Amino acid sequence: MSSLEISSSCFNRETKLPLFPPLVEDSAFEPSRKDIDEVEEKSKDVINFTAEKLSVDEVSQLVMSPLCGAVSLFVGTTRNNFEGKKVISLEYEAYLPMAKNEVKKICSDIRQKWPVKHIAVFHRLGLVPVSEASIIIAVSSAHRAASLEAVSYAIDTLKAKVPIWKKEIYEESSSWKGNKECFWLSNPRNHRSLWTHDYSILWIRFLSGLGIQINITDT
Amino acid sequence: MVEVLYFAKSAEITGVRSETISVPQEIRALQLWKEIETRHPGLADVRNQIIFAVRQEYVELGDQLLLLQPGDEIAVIPPISGG
Repeated sequence: MSSLEISSSCFNRETKLPLFPPLVEDSAFEPSRKDIDEVEEKSKDVINFTAEKLSVDEVSQLVMSPLCGAVSLFVGTTRNNFEGKKVISLEYEAYLPMAKNEVKKICSDIRQKWPVKHIAVFHRLGLVPVSEASIIIAVSSAHRAASLEAVSYAIDTLKAKVPIWKKEIYEESSSWKGNKECFWLSNPRNHRSLWTHDYSILWIRFLSGLGIQINITDT
Repeated sequence: MVEVLYFAKSAEITGVRSETISVPQEIRALQLWKEIETRHPGLADVRNQIIFAVRQEYVELGDQLLLLQPGDEIAVIPPISGG
């Protein structure tokens, strides 16, 4: 190795600074509590709604941290088919101020449940052609379990609660979609069938009126 | 006077994204819906799937008593499909 070459094994390629900090033997320099706190990264929630094409690289970089050993990602993309119909594109709209607030609530919930560092939720609006990303969620954590679970929770809850809508655009028509997770549709009212108790009683009375005896036995 | 916002299917049905309407300050959610449906009868088709957002909080189309201030935003929210 000539004197001008820098071995990549002991220097950071980009900064050309040594990977290992210089040894400080003199105990006169003692890092104060304030210095340590300044080194701590503030946790961030990055929420973005944009008409621009989403970049997995950009979103993952936002959550990277030297404190974290894991970054977990979810990327939702436009699929080219629905029930045998060819999908050309999806079109998204949102009730923006409320959508941002609902995503903030999801971030807050995540922080209550898991020890994560940074969270990024990017959702695209307008037209999203096939195979392009409509949503990217990235979460970083010291160890992988927290961020993996947090990302899963984030997409499930977003689909249930955040006021965003997509329209599927086919060749000849289009259709507004509704997620099965949509929270106010998950418990449809049970409709009474003809064979509920009350209807059975009416039927028995009617038949009795005709002189027909009905014996009910429990099966 | 409150502002009603329409989204997705409901905006297609009404043909408008927003409008200002005059309603009593105290009104039950279902009554408010009926006011809106009177102006846009086509919305009857989607009544069972709609929820309101009043000042950006979800409110079902039921008995809840709303206390509305002038300029409050009420959104007509069809089934969501984000992600």
